[in-house]
Amino acid sequence: MARDIVAGVFCCIGTLFFILGTTGLLRMPDLFTRLHPSTKCDTLGACSVILGMAVHNGWSWDLLKLVFIACFLLLSSATCGHAIGRSALRRNIPYWKKKEVTEDGHGA
Amino acid sequence: MKRVASLLFIVALAVLLLYVVAGMPPMGDPDNPTATHVIPRYLERAEEETHTVNVITGIILNYRGYDTMGEVTVIFCALAAVLAVLGRERRGVIHGFVDRSEVPSSTIVKTMVRFMVPFIILFSVYTILHGETSPGGGFQGGAVIGGSMIIFTTIFGLYESSRRIPLKVRASLEGAAVMGFFLVGALGLVGGGNFLTYAWPRVSRSLHPSLVVWLTVLVEVGIGLGGAMVLTSILFAMIREEEEIAPSS
Repeated sequence: MARDIVAGVFCCIGTLFFILGTTGLLRMPDLFTRLHPSTKCDTLGACSVILGMAVHNGWSWDLLKLVFIACFLLLSSATCGHAIGRSALRRNIPYWKKKEVTEDGHGA
Repeated sequence: MKRVASLLFIVALAVLLLYVVAGMPPMGDPDNPTATHVIPRYLERAEEETHTVNVITGIILNYRGYDTMGEVTVIFCALAAVLAVLGRERRGVIHGFVDRSEVPSSTIVKTMVRFMVPFIILFSVYTILHGETSPGGGFQGGAVIGGSMIIFTTIFGLYESSRRIPLKVRASLEGAAVMGFFLVGALGLVGGGNFLTYAWPRVSRSLHPSLVVWLTVLVEVGIGLGGAMVLTSILFAMIREEEEIAPSS
């Protein structure tokens, strides 16, 4: 029972990070700021869900598989974020700057 | 006017589709025609008849073996069509990797890809070999190998990856899926049954379960290797032109 509650809490935290990451991806203005929330989906979000599943599952061989999944997820997600960010930086993709908002709602 | 016409067309299409959907049998109803004819037989007797715990593998490789054989032939034909249009890279033409991208791959990415690809391939072997007992199988495992080759080629270039999987190996394994099926089918004839029968009448009954499992695994391995090589060859054929112009120095 207590184990189910802990597992549920971890899964909820993970889902929350996914929602926040997706919202950030949609709402942020440019590539670099979007990269920041979207990388949290995989690292914090998915790893919390996996942690919840590991707690739910208890000690078994499946736990080892979950640990492997979490490890590879962390490695690949971080590498992916690094590759996108570095490539964008080297290509001189412009940073977002706060613009004066004109009356019709569009940036100047 | 055009807008109104297209809007009317979309509304008419939507009404028609919704009407058809309304007439469909309810989803998940056990009395649906799909669930009353052949499905019960599959679910009740698949394990006993095909000796595969994974019913889906039992269906696609055993009950519908001919259908799947046609499918892998279609995949092979797709590769043949791609190669007919784009042409195969000629041996010795690729002189070296010219990084034409604006940003060369970073050390971190290279190290990570070099570290991950063996694990990805290990996982795909697991997927292929566990096809008859758990979710997975030849198609999925082959696609995973192909995906790992795509990652590797994206980072290291055609030169490095075509050194890992030479043209000879690819050319001889591309037909592995079709060949595996035909081999198992012909073995069925040798065993005294029909084409593509897994249970051979000339073999004693007690041997049947392990025989059927081994033949299924053979077909799975064939599909996996063939699918992986087809994906890799299509990728190589598509990026060949970029790198063929590499200086011969």
